[in-house]
Amino acid sequence: MGIQTTAVYSKADVAAAHVLEADEVVLLGESEPSKSYLNIDRVINAAEKTGADAIHPGYGFLAENPDFAEQCETSGIIFIGPPSRVIKNLGNKTLARTIMKKAGVPVIPGMLEATTEPAVLYQEAERMGYPVLVKAVAGGGGKGMRVVSEQGEMEEACLSAMSEAEKAFGDGSLYLEKCMECPRHVEFQILADQHGNAVHMFERECSIQRRHQKIIEETPSPAMTPSLQEAMGKAAISATLASGYVNAGTVEFLLEPSGQFYFLEVNTRLQVEHPITEMTTGIDLVRQQLEIASGRPLAFNQQDITRTGHAIECRIYAEDPEADFFPSPGPVLFHREPAGPGVRNDSGIYGGFEVPVEYDPILGKLIVMAGTREAARMRMIRALESYVILGIRTIIPFLIDVLKSSEFIEGNTYTNFIDRNFKDWTQNMDDAALARIAYVIDELTSLEKTSATVRDRGWPTPWETLGEWRI
Amino acid sequence: MKKYRLKIVEETADVDVSNPVSEQNMEFIIGEETYHVGYRAISNNCLHLVVDGKAIKAFLIRGGHGKHVFVNGRSFVVEDADQLPLRRGRRTGIDQAPGDVTPPMPSVVVRIMVEEGDFVEKGQGLIVVTAMKMETTLKAPYNGRVTAIKTTVDAKVAPGDILVEIEEEVPENEQ
Repeated sequence: MGIQTTAVYSKADVAAAHVLEADEVVLLGESEPSKSYLNIDRVINAAEKTGADAIHPGYGFLAENPDFAEQCETSGIIFIGPPSRVIKNLGNKTLARTIMKKAGVPVIPGMLEATTEPAVLYQEAERMGYPVLVKAVAGGGGKGMRVVSEQGEMEEACLSAMSEAEKAFGDGSLYLEKCMECPRHVEFQILADQHGNAVHMFERECSIQRRHQKIIEETPSPAMTPSLQEAMGKAAISATLASGYVNAGTVEFLLEPSGQFYFLEVNTRLQVEHPITEMTTGIDLVRQQLEIASGRPLAFNQQDITRTGHAIECRIYAEDPEADFFPSPGPVLFHREPAGPGVRNDSGIYGGFEVPVEYDPILGKLIVMAGTREAARMRMIRALESYVILGIRTIIPFLIDVLKSSEFIEGNTYTNFIDRNFKDWTQNMDDAALARIAYVIDELTSLEKTSATVRDRGWPTPWETLGEWRI
Repeated sequence: MKKYRLKIVEETADVDVSNPVSEQNMEFIIGEETYHVGYRAISNNCLHLVVDGKAIKAFLIRGGHGKHVFVNGRSFVVEDADQLPLRRGRRTGIDQAPGDVTPPMPSVVVRIMVEEGDFVEKGQGLIVVTAMKMETTLKAPYNGRVTAIKTTVDAKVAPGDILVEIEEEVPENEQ
């Protein structure tokens, strides 16, 4: 679009990919988020200093912070997202539930008021009956959220959720929702301009999650039918209009096997998984965000939006899938990306990059598209198998096994997918012998390389000095 | 014949390599299995292998005590068991005994939920640590009595640090 960009970064991100790509760069401060990415004044100052007209908040950090959007508004900087008032209303999960209920969008049974009093939560849980979901009123990304299956776990769950929410969002208030038995996570991408036009761009299914964070997303959902799509699409538009939404957003639903669906929340920003929608609709969502933020009306209506083929995204996390997905930061010693038709890799790393301990362990997103779900699945397996990241542990081998599983092939993707099918996953060691062979051959070839240089200098070769060969 | 002892995670295997007649004709004996191997070095980090007639592209790089090796979509850390430094005292991440209460990666202690002398049940939460914005609860590996708490809130801890010592005990009614 010919737009110049300024990247802001913290000390931990001096060599981050976004810094290397931008036209101008501004150091915000220390790696601690409160001194950099979460510091509203410093971000606004950076925009003013470089003369930026608009700020794209990305995802995470200040992306869904209404105070930040408001500060942009009062400083005369365009915030690429909805108005601060809308973010505030929808960011308050209980208020959002109230708005949706009024607009006729079905919501999950549970509390409509949040609290910081554990006693109120215990009482409410007793009344609703276990299992319950403890959620942070300011929550997102699974932070401050706990599934509690019995009374005995309630205290620790509430305290840890409160502390996590306090740290992540500066608000520890919690509320409860009834825990759905076996739902799918199905969300609708929406676009709304400043002139009252709103469209949806179909659904994404994001049921495969660990720690309530998505790791595999696909579109269309294997559970989608034309009538369900119409009903959910309509509800998504109602949610958009009822909240006064502007720009790109996502209306998340839980879908039960019966076909009943419930409003979960609105993500008032671009989603991590937006590329699968871009791949199947041919619409560049970030471009649309910029067009909308510039005040232009949407250039298409609902009938103009069509979807072709099937797309899958795998999030590439620096985590050890054998150790409860615990983060695995460190240096990326070697990086070789997959390529080919229908393959897109939105990656933030490169060979020599040090994955910082300070932030979320996502490294990138691998996206594929093909004519059918099965073709996309095969293409994704091929892409994952040719994606080489050495030095840190990633979830790639886990993702490969998930995509190869019969439950995934059959589309039996529910939010408990990993717990149900991959709880004690361990890496397949069948290829350990090949790894050992490769190790030895690498030793021998590097020996040849060294011996060549050694010979050049007239020193004795290892063949003369090494006595290990028993011939 | 050249011999290696190569370790992947916890498993050390003997690898016997025939004297290379040529790049196309080597013999590997790993454990009980024999492999016929041909190879070509493509670059410093890439080998093309033909193992028992099957072609494989392997990527390798040296790091830490060994080499990171990628084959068929999976990566392994392969270490030469004869060249590993002898371990003293503090153990490294992958070598923890299953009963140790130790963080899985460098992290900070957020909460300590038990006191010395407490009886804890297997699976009970002991300590909450945080790293990369994520909290994890370290749980009791077995039933027992807490004999020592060797950390404090806000302390920086690393894999191998034993944070809580528990003496295994069987509850009286089960004895």
